[in-house]
Amino acid sequence: MLFQVENLTSGYGKIDVVRSLSLHVDEGERVGLFGPNGHGKTTLLRTVSGLIPAKSGLVVFRGEDITGADPHKIVKKGLIHVPQGNQLFPEMTVQENLTLGTFAARTDKGKASNFEKVFALFPRLKERLSQRAQTLSGGERQMLAIGVGLMGMPELLILDEPSVGLAPIIKEELARAIGEIADSGVTMIVVDQDVELLLGICERLYLIEKGSVSLETTDVSQVNQAEILEMYFGKVT
Amino acid sequence: MIRFFDANKKLLAAAGIVIFLAIPLVVDNKLLIHLAILGMLYAIVASNWDLTLGYAGVFNFAHLAFFGIGAYTSGIITVKLGISPWLGIPCGAAAAALASIIVSIPAIRLRGIYVALLTFACSQLVLLLLLSQPLITGGQQGLTGVPQLQIGDYLFRESEFAHFYLVGALLLCSTIFLRRLVTSDFGLSLIALRDFEEYAVARGIPLARQRLLAFLYSSIFPGLAGGVYAHFLIVASPDIFGFSLVTLLLSMVLVGGVATIYGPVVIGVVMIFVSELMASSETMSELFGISSGPVRFMFVAVLIVLTMRFFPQGVWGLIKEYAARSRASNQAGDDTRT
Amino acid sequence: MTLEAIAAIIASGLVSGSLYALMASGLSLVWGTLRMFNFAHGVLVMIGAYSGWYISDRGGLAKVLQPLGKKITKNSEDWGLMGDILYPLGEWILSIKSGFGLGIGVPLAIVFCGIAGYVIYVLLVKPFVGKPNADLIVIITTIAGASFIQNGVQVIFGPRYKKLDRILEGRPLEVLDTAIGLQEVLIIVLTPVTLLLLHFFLKLSKLGLAIRAVAQNDDFARLVGINVNQIYPQTFVVSSMLAGLAGLMLGGLFFILPTMGSEPLLRAFVVVVFGGLGSLPGTIVGSYVIGLIEQSSAYVFSLYWAPVVLFATLILVLIFRPRGLMGGKES
Repeated sequence: MLFQVENLTSGYGKIDVVRSLSLHVDEGERVGLFGPNGHGKTTLLRTVSGLIPAKSGLVVFRGEDITGADPHKIVKKGLIHVPQGNQLFPEMTVQENLTLGTFAARTDKGKASNFEKVFALFPRLKERLSQRAQTLSGGERQMLAIGVGLMGMPELLILDEPSVGLAPIIKEELARAIGEIADSGVTMIVVDQDVELLLGICERLYLIEKGSVSLETTDVSQVNQAEILEMYFGKVT
Repeated sequence: MIRFFDANKKLLAAAGIVIFLAIPLVVDNKLLIHLAILGMLYAIVASNWDLTLGYAGVFNFAHLAFFGIGAYTSGIITVKLGISPWLGIPCGAAAAALASIIVSIPAIRLRGIYVALLTFACSQLVLLLLLSQPLITGGQQGLTGVPQLQIGDYLFRESEFAHFYLVGALLLCSTIFLRRLVTSDFGLSLIALRDFEEYAVARGIPLARQRLLAFLYSSIFPGLAGGVYAHFLIVASPDIFGFSLVTLLLSMVLVGGVATIYGPVVIGVVMIFVSELMASSETMSELFGISSGPVRFMFVAVLIVLTMRFFPQGVWGLIKEYAARSRASNQAGDDTRT
Repeated sequence: MTLEAIAAIIASGLVSGSLYALMASGLSLVWGTLRMFNFAHGVLVMIGAYSGWYISDRGGLAKVLQPLGKKITKNSEDWGLMGDILYPLGEWILSIKSGFGLGIGVPLAIVFCGIAGYVIYVLLVKPFVGKPNADLIVIITTIAGASFIQNGVQVIFGPRYKKLDRILEGRPLEVLDTAIGLQEVLIIVLTPVTLLLLHFFLKLSKLGLAIRAVAQNDDFARLVGINVNQIYPQTFVVSSMLAGLAGLMLGGLFFILPTMGSEPLLRAFVVVVFGGLGSLPGTIVGSYVIGLIEQSSAYVFSLYWAPVVLFATLILVLIFRPRGLMGGKES
């Protein structure tokens, strides 16, 4: 097991958002997390990456307890979280953003070739190298965000809502890129609302409701899509 | 102990008043009385600052300017226009109130740091305006020749009684006024705005109006106190706007306890004595060799930082906590016994 | 207005603007990363001037060390081998009777300011980072810190003023009918150079990049591997060194007093807000604009009214455009 969360509870102030949540990811796996908004997916990721403290429970990476560790240390161990909302450094260029991604790298070896790898995945970024991040389109920003994450040479890459607000064509492009990243040996956790997207990329899915796992399945055909749509949108009559 | 206090509140209050009235009769030392008067004046300013700083949660850096405006207004119109100080002082308060409204209008729209900066700039502006008109205000030297208070032939400065009782009464009125205010619906609305702004506004509490009122109410007694201050010392000096006094008064509010009113009152008076003690004591001169004037400001500064670090609720806040715990354990004790 | 007057205003405006730019850029850096105002920034300017004086002037450190030097040279014979080693040291101390000079004084002063800034951060800012209303608490603690340091300096050095040697002496330069002192010329030239260096530092160095990153998105900075809690003190140190440099320049032009930092601090606040909180270019442009406004007001109205105009400007900006000239990010 590469990564494990055991009975994790966390939240903001007195409010618990993640409640006794447990899940695990094996090396090389692609795991998807989905579920209604506000039920703890992002809070879970922020707790895992160290941005918010855990109230109880464990986060274990490579056998090491990283619960509550400093975010920059976690990142250097190879666990990289690409947050939702196209978070970037808005006034910096594409090049500068990517350079900043290398701060996370565990070793200096191969740093130079990382740029090439990212450009191979997302050629558009190479074209826009000296443009400021805030001038990029939504899709390009998402690509850049993932690119920045990759520059850190992650063993486990966690993507939070990569497809949100993107046109279907871009989503496809993104999905392909994510697939390629996974193929190159990076273990992945992808959180997204688009269950179909997840089904296309991931082998195993967790449904997160009310702060904990309510369904875990590897048989993607088992996931009854109508049921899920109902869960999100209510009964369709 | 808290039980005794709770049970005999009225008696203790009466005793307090009697003791207060007796002080100038019993204490012979003019300096001590003088300091007490100063301390009470500053206590008025500090406790009113608690209204905007503690209850409204707005960092009004111009608060001391209300005091200064009260002093200078009363000083100027009594000196230049020959008006009686008894009229001058309320005019000072009116000027302070007007200033508070002027300052608050832009301030209510701003948050946190911006309010602090804006009010800071306003108070500096007032100081600069005063300094720029030396013919009226006496410039750097200050306004001298301010007439003292008198009733008929009785000059207030002849004995220490008059000022002591006057300022004491003013402090009492100010404190009652403030306490009434903060326990009223108005006070509660301020606290609601401070702690849960969005919710309070959504519930219909008018943010702008309440804050403006907070500024206004917090300026009245400092304005009066300023006027009395000018006639007590028969001078109005620009030092009132100085860095050192601001720091001193801020420490009174913080160490006394934000959002308590009583805290700044008590600590205000105490602080003056402590600060004077530091300035004049023999040991201080021995320890530091040179003039120990600046040392008291260093002491005040350290006190502020320690307070913010280790007991941000202030002395009075600590007392309140202790009292609450005592009451709770007494209650528990009573319950188990019956 | 005569050409002479205009030239004089521009010259003094450039000098003021340069000094404000040095001070305000430090404040702007701290605001950008920490979203806090360091009210102790003014005393850091003062510390720069005082430490520069102390090291370079004969009345400072050199004077204090004289008794030590005498003691060493007199008694070193009795100390055997140690005495032989120490004797040259003692001689050297005695020889620097007139001070260590500006060559050593200036860089050491700047370093010392960096250290002072670090201490201020650890004692007055760090304990409150991340707490609610931290920015307001820090205003209070840094005011207290400034009061402490200012009064402390007065206790140590006495309230009478000191004077720092000018770095450049000589006949004033004549430009367009107006005379500009050489020190002023130095300031006008050195400041843009320093700011340019600062710019390259922020753009190209690893630390500079990290500082900008934290200023633009501190959460993402953490996720990218930046130790944000270390960036804060480092920013403070850079900011303090800039303040120290400003103090050294100021000290060469004006009197060195414990209170010398307060007026410049107020100006720097006006500048930082005017130029746009969080925008370093805006702050720098704003500095020169404010410098020119101040000097023209002093000429047109009078010395008393110049600060009034300045503060009125600040108030107007806060009311109508709190984001300032170039607009920055608010907290």
